[in-house]
Amino acid sequence: MDYEIEEKGAPNREKVEVLGATYEAGKPDGEDDGRWRHKLASRDEKLRYLRSGERYWYGKDWYGSEKRKNPA
Amino acid sequence: MAERKIKKSVDKASLDMMEKAARDGVTTAFDRAGEMSQCAIGAAGSCCKNCGMGPCRVLGVKGEEEAARGICGATAETIAARNFIRMVAGGAAAHSDHGRGVAELFLAAAKGKAPGYTIRDEQKLLQLALEWGVEIGERSNQEIAVDIGEIALAEFGKQEGEIRFLSRAPLKRQELWRREGVAPRGIDREIVEIMHRTHIGVDQDYHSLLKQGVRAAIGDGWGGSMIATELQDILFGTPAPVLGRVNLGVLKKDEVNLVIHGHEPLLSEVIVAVAQDPEMVSLAKAKGAKGINLSGICCTANEILMRHGVPLAGNFLQQELALVTGAVDAMVVDIQCIMQSLPDIAQCYHTKIITTSPKARIPGALHIEFDEHNALEGAKAIVRTAIENFPNRGNNIDIPKEQTDMVVGFSHETINYLLGGLFRASYRPLNDNIINGRIRGVAGVVGCNNPRTTHDSDHTSMVKELIKNDVLVIQTGCSAMAAAKLGLMTPEAAAKYAGEGLASVCETVGIPPVLHLGSCVDNSRILMAATAMVKDGGLGDDISDLPVAGAAPEWMSEKAISIGQYFVASGVFTVFGVTWPTLGSDEVTKHLFTDFEAAYGGIWAFEPDPIKAAHLMISHIDKKRKALGIDKARERVLYDMEMRRELESV
Repeated sequence: MDYEIEEKGAPNREKVEVLGATYEAGKPDGEDDGRWRHKLASRDEKLRYLRSGERYWYGKDWYGSEKRKNPA
Repeated sequence: MAERKIKKSVDKASLDMMEKAARDGVTTAFDRAGEMSQCAIGAAGSCCKNCGMGPCRVLGVKGEEEAARGICGATAETIAARNFIRMVAGGAAAHSDHGRGVAELFLAAAKGKAPGYTIRDEQKLLQLALEWGVEIGERSNQEIAVDIGEIALAEFGKQEGEIRFLSRAPLKRQELWRREGVAPRGIDREIVEIMHRTHIGVDQDYHSLLKQGVRAAIGDGWGGSMIATELQDILFGTPAPVLGRVNLGVLKKDEVNLVIHGHEPLLSEVIVAVAQDPEMVSLAKAKGAKGINLSGICCTANEILMRHGVPLAGNFLQQELALVTGAVDAMVVDIQCIMQSLPDIAQCYHTKIITTSPKARIPGALHIEFDEHNALEGAKAIVRTAIENFPNRGNNIDIPKEQTDMVVGFSHETINYLLGGLFRASYRPLNDNIINGRIRGVAGVVGCNNPRTTHDSDHTSMVKELIKNDVLVIQTGCSAMAAAKLGLMTPEAAAKYAGEGLASVCETVGIPPVLHLGSCVDNSRILMAATAMVKDGGLGDDISDLPVAGAAPEWMSEKAISIGQYFVASGVFTVFGVTWPTLGSDEVTKHLFTDFEAAYGGIWAFEPDPIKAAHLMISHIDKKRKALGIDKARERVLYDMEMRRELESV
């Protein structure tokens, strides 16, 4: 891959070369490019994710903004 | 014959096909809307036809207090409220019966009685198991799914207690629903009770009638629709970002075009698989086509777009125009928003219209009934019908060039993941950027098309105005398709259309400024996103505290009224365009537009001008920002020790 080099300047500083935005041009072509749920493979991983990622509903220690002594 | 004065569409592909329809002697909804003016009495909700003594036309407009009553004595208020909540009942029934169909299939699949269907998202299955107290342990997915399916089905006919998904809502919202007596007991029960209360001589207090409408609508959004979304996710996969395309240009001249239309993805999911079957592709090639091109109309299309990237041919008002291209070999329909004119138009070309639901038969259409126990064979019969019809195409084919790229698949789960990552999934970045003002608020823009206004114009004008003012827009249904056609659902749209603050956030996260959340039952995803914002903190402790608003600028269906009502009941300011069905009673309209806020924290509004409507939403968002104390940028001061001492001495 060819890296883009950009020249950047700042007040009272000499101009420097920095690595610019580097990406593959074009559109994603794979249906799976945006898929993320397969990253959690085992049942245990999925349950752990639910208890952390969706912690306000499925975590035991989290109520977010709604932490209160008496449940509704 | 009344002359139509409004422009028919802002979409060039649609306008081109309207011209072709005129040349071909085909009449479309646009023509019929021009020829038939709206019934003013019916549009205002002032016509009562609930008994054989009527229909009675009873207007209740201010200054006309001596207005007539219906023969039974019903006032304009009673009649407007009855008509309004019967619309809620119709919409809630449609969404919920869809949910019931999904639950039945889900249970059959879990029991191994529906070949071709399986559990594709174990994580979502486990999520519901945790939520509903279903034992997980070492049990198989099928065993867990049987329990989940039985619990889900029981939600529809439950007679007492509360529907289960209410427990997902913010705690303060749950308390409010219980205090107001609008927590639904069962999904079906609240709909049936509307039909009972609105029968002649039952509930004649509009406050009481409208309250029951709220209860049934909550049973839709937090019940039937949410069950449909969740179980579909388990069966077919929870949506994640995928590239799609939209507009009539997705039809292909040299391939078999099979268009899927309706709302229930149960059969279409199998059709997607069958269309890729080498045997079917070979058959298509043997008939002279290069392949099989699937595309969709309305919300079945949204479902298969969100999960597979199957392109959208168009939204509700493009269903007839797709046939006018002359290139559609078959259009397979399931339920809801399917025009009866389709078989008539199909006769002018060569298209086969195939109905599949026993609930939705159309004279003149070929019926191949969906049987969950034999879905694969049904799907093959449909795809084969399309292929065999390919050689019957005439020469009168004109496919518009227009098609637009879009990035879709933003379920609540995916937004949570995109904003926080796998190890700390969270809505925190969204809340932080609302608090720091880069994002002013969030708007849900949803709903249908309506030929009483310019097709797609109100959706796109409103959405552009909102994102220009740094309001992140989330969409579903035909409204999402309108915005997508304009190119608003690509990450690049942020730089072109969004305000500086919103654009900077979109660029950082890599998302479009307008997010597609799915079909119309997937408005339940919007409820989940709003709840996640509340629970993450910093923006109040109820949905009604959030700087958010909702809209359906081109609504037409009863489902839209039910959706609007559950948004309002969930605490959201919700503005509708085109027409408003209670204008025949000032009191009922005032109750919905003003008094509801004290009870539910959300209110209805009506504004047919989409720019003015957008500014009503922005004003509401600003009002909520002020109430939260985040309306002004605050200077950040780094305290030195002396300043700290001063602070401590106060």
